[in-house]
Amino acid sequence: MINKYKYILLLGCSLILISLLFSCKSHHEDEYHNIVDKIEAKSTLYNGTSISSEAYIEPNTIEITEGEHTFLIPERKSQITSYACTECHAKPLGELQDSTKYKKAHWNIKLKHANAHTMNCVTCHNSADMDNLKSLTGEAIDFNRSYNLCSQCHTQQFKDWKGGAHGKRIGGWAPPRASLTCVNCHNPHQPQIKSKWPVRYNTQKEIERD
Amino acid sequence: MSSNNKKWFSLNLSNRKKEQSSSCSCGNTSGQCASQQTPEVIDNEQNKDGFEQVFDVTMDRRTAFKKLTASLMIGAGAVSTSCSVISSDESKEKAQIDWEEQFKGNYRLMTDEEKQATVERLVRSYQLRTGKTINMSSKNAEENVLFGYAFNISKCQGYMDCVNACVEENNQDRNSQMQYIRIHEMKEGNGFNFGEADDNYYHEVPAEGHFYMGTQCFHCDNPPCTKVCPVKATWKEDDGLVVIDYDWCIGCRYCMAACPYDGRRFNWSQPEVPEEEINKNQHYLGNRMRKKGVMEKCTFCVQRSRAGKNPACVEACPTGARIFGNLLDPDSTIRWVLENKKVFRLKEDLGTEPKFWYFMD
Repeated sequence: MINKYKYILLLGCSLILISLLFSCKSHHEDEYHNIVDKIEAKSTLYNGTSISSEAYIEPNTIEITEGEHTFLIPERKSQITSYACTECHAKPLGELQDSTKYKKAHWNIKLKHANAHTMNCVTCHNSADMDNLKSLTGEAIDFNRSYNLCSQCHTQQFKDWKGGAHGKRIGGWAPPRASLTCVNCHNPHQPQIKSKWPVRYNTQKEIERD
Repeated sequence: MSSNNKKWFSLNLSNRKKEQSSSCSCGNTSGQCASQQTPEVIDNEQNKDGFEQVFDVTMDRRTAFKKLTASLMIGAGAVSTSCSVISSDESKEKAQIDWEEQFKGNYRLMTDEEKQATVERLVRSYQLRTGKTINMSSKNAEENVLFGYAFNISKCQGYMDCVNACVEENNQDRNSQMQYIRIHEMKEGNGFNFGEADDNYYHEVPAEGHFYMGTQCFHCDNPPCTKVCPVKATWKEDDGLVVIDYDWCIGCRYCMAACPYDGRRFNWSQPEVPEEEINKNQHYLGNRMRKKGVMEKCTFCVQRSRAGKNPACVEACPTGARIFGNLLDPDSTIRWVLENKKVFRLKEDLGTEPKFWYFMD
């Protein structure tokens, strides 16, 4: 009989203990060990948000799909001052190369991209088809998709750009995604970005520091 | 943690040990219980609002008199203007607004209607004072959103466009050159040496042999700053933003001391922004005008981010070094960066879990 009471007492005690354990646990603010666990757990239930960045994207964009990434980039052809090239270049380039007969054109463009062993004008431009760029194997590349030209050599940058680690996002953070393309920041003829002065100087901090 | 923790020594003459009173259900009287007391306090507070939140708390006589005097002044003003036949409707309305603002509760505990009402009051008050109309939002955190930030150290060139954009967007005090963002110029090969970094360079950038990194509020997932606030004027929102109710802040600067990242700023003087430079697109928890003696800091531009825009620093950066997005969206660019680049955070060992990652090309 006493044994039975003892048993019941023990059972009761353990029940109370268990319930206390759980009630204490439920008080914890967050059930995740760290932020990465939290992100992983919560994003399995992700089903979109009502926030969209559509309103902030400039109208002149084109949609591209590269691998598993689909996003918008600014349209290019309308931004090139003298496109289409064939509006001037009626004759094939070969006929224009006699410098005694013709004035030098595009004198303002200097190529500072790789070295002369690697690149000259016709690495990217096609003298037979001026309105398109050309790949290393001679295939036509549209001016709107010039990133295909850059990605032939700059593979790591291309990979990062597709994913979103390289290059500038425009519009907002929410979908749809819009990013600048290579030539929006880098001049393809002189891709190195020059040094410049910072836009502000903190006089107050300078005073405080002295 | 309980009232037993006396700060003075007292003699136990009756030789009788006082029984330790435990408020926790688990019967555990050690430090473990501290976390369980907090929810009760919050529950209590949720039943209180406005007047009760201000006065229905234990306070010493001096504080009580201070609060009563301030309220009486406003009350007297309100009564005299509302009863007066000479004063205009506008000044009556202003007195009414001042009265309601004096007794408003903590923003975090407000219902959506109360949030809307306080925002409308502030807009009207600004209109009455300056004749200008501002747009103030009280938009709550969106579901399925957790904001995160990534910073590319290889790309930042120290141009400082982000700092300018931040100051303009967030109506920061121009006199004291208040800035949420700091850009540190560091010598290559020395690692992150903040002691030797130059935060105030002025020469052509990028300087030879140097790299640049920016710091600001990292919106920790386990923020130490919110825990030390004695009045709960700062907290973490559901979308991960750590925010401040400027009207609830008492300016004790505990949070500034608790932050291991130098993320918080204090208004030592009345913040001043030229009228024509004021950004009129505001949020209650974001860039609305602050006053002297309150804390402020980066909010990931809550007025912009909750509307789907990028924070001003991200938009202004000409290099694309700043990446912002929703950590819960598996297709977002921020997630791609976290999963494909070698990312790290500052002082990870503190367990503060900042939502601000650094990476290199």
